[in-house]
Amino acid sequence: MNFRKLNQGYLFIFPAMFVLGIMILYPLIDTAILSFTDDSGAFVGTKNFTSVLSSRTTSLATYNSVYYVGGSIILNLLVGTFAGILLDRKFVGRGMVRSILLIPWVVPGIVAATTWAWMFHYEFGIINYGLQSLNIISQPVGWLTSADLVKPSLIAVEVWKTFPFVALMVLAALQGIPETLYEAARIDGARFYHEVRYIMLPHLFGVLASVALLLLIWGMSGITLIYAMTAGGPANRSLILPIQIFKEAFESFDFNRAAALSLVLFVGLFVVIVIQVGLSHRSQEVADD
Amino acid sequence: MTKNKYSWVTYLLALIFSCAALFPFLWMALSSVKPLRELYSVPPTWLPQNFSMENYTNVLFNSNIPRYFLNSVIISVGATAISIFLAALAAYGFARFNFRGKSGLQASILISQLLPTATILVPLYIILGHLGLINTYAGLILVYLIHTLPLCIWMLIGYFRSIPYEIEEAALVDGASRLTILFRIVLPLAVPGIVSTVVYCFVSTWNEFIFALVFATDSRVKTLPIGLAEFTSEFNTDWGAVMAASMVMTLPVVILFFGIQKLFVGGLTAGAAKG
Repeated sequence: MNFRKLNQGYLFIFPAMFVLGIMILYPLIDTAILSFTDDSGAFVGTKNFTSVLSSRTTSLATYNSVYYVGGSIILNLLVGTFAGILLDRKFVGRGMVRSILLIPWVVPGIVAATTWAWMFHYEFGIINYGLQSLNIISQPVGWLTSADLVKPSLIAVEVWKTFPFVALMVLAALQGIPETLYEAARIDGARFYHEVRYIMLPHLFGVLASVALLLLIWGMSGITLIYAMTAGGPANRSLILPIQIFKEAFESFDFNRAAALSLVLFVGLFVVIVIQVGLSHRSQEVADD
Repeated sequence: MTKNKYSWVTYLLALIFSCAALFPFLWMALSSVKPLRELYSVPPTWLPQNFSMENYTNVLFNSNIPRYFLNSVIISVGATAISIFLAALAAYGFARFNFRGKSGLQASILISQLLPTATILVPLYIILGHLGLINTYAGLILVYLIHTLPLCIWMLIGYFRSIPYEIEEAALVDGASRLTILFRIVLPLAVPGIVSTVVYCFVSTWNEFIFALVFATDSRVKTLPIGLAEFTSEFNTDWGAVMAASMVMTLPVVILFFGIQKLFVGGLTAGAAKG
């Protein structure tokens, strides 16, 4: 290649990098500054942090976030892996099933929220009606209004929306496994579940680790489903941290507390990511040995 | 894989998964053509007994949805166009030049996509406020670049790298400038890649919710997702209208998605024929 004019590269990337610097880097720095000052801009030390972290809402929102995001990740990985292995099998109509399974992923998040909210409707919802006709429940259930059911219900919607993505990643990884591996296993008398246990799952480990990381980040910034279906209710039982940040900032108009909470969430996520990447690197090395 | 006696299990599972994936979408479509009286009846009907387009006429003629649709189109097209233009330049820079700090910058673009958007809402609000861009198309387009620009750069780098450099070398010898080469040679060759990048960009801005919720509070610039959320949270929710509006919002995405599937296949086979 010709690299005589080395600096021309900077000219090409400058406009994009300039925009990203202003829109991402500067706001990150500004979040840090806001979190240590008050609304007049005076330095207040850790006051915002102690005030926001000691509030009961924050501990509830943290609990809800871990419950909702953790539950979604586990179920997404299970259902997605299952669907991915299924789609890897050869059967008539596989192409069509693949396209159909992608529908939840393609449907806009807000549309998933409105549709499921209608299906969950207390009086006229199809879910209450269906479960009552099957005699699984005797009374209509307030899926989105009951303190105990709201998080599992929201997790169900989130998994419905996201498992196709996991399935697609799993499928792509499975198709990278050489056919000879299966043939060798079959000569040794391996059954299908042996193939899953000893060929597919070990091969999927790396992909699932990266997918879990992505799901964590998406979950921790995902407002759409919950905000549109319950807005954090009932009584904050589905309030997760990003929604709390939004409410602190744009309903209570306390920018500094919101910034402090943002910084805590950012640092917390960063630590988890570093640990996760480190762990999967190490296990990758062990596997390579 | 070989056929075995358990293949009916595969079919059964495929059927169950397909129904689970499809049902909410079907239910939305069916609900959107039922009149309100039928929607609010116990027990509910599975198929529409009194097929009616009244929900659609309500949404199209008696609500803000058409305006929100227009706003969404303007903002998504604007953000996509600007992203593709800036990303084409940047991706070309990354794909064809060597410079100090290149790998670090490239990595930072990838990492920036992992940023939880909630954590920068407040400073963005302050910045846009200073610039007078809250509740403007320009403001929303600008914040959408946060999502779309890194993604576009990353996708286009891949497509540009797959184009053989020899073609460009010939043009360089003939005295063409790098910009000319990018717009006259590289971009036309990368059309299939650009189309999928455009679709991805458009769909992700079309569906975006959080930024729109914060930066577009005026009905002159509100986008469809916000309009839908408003509909749902009203005290007296008109679920028929909500389902019809949901269909209106989903349709462009579905069309783009199936359109690109064909284009993808077409592009792939065209390439194979030439090779």
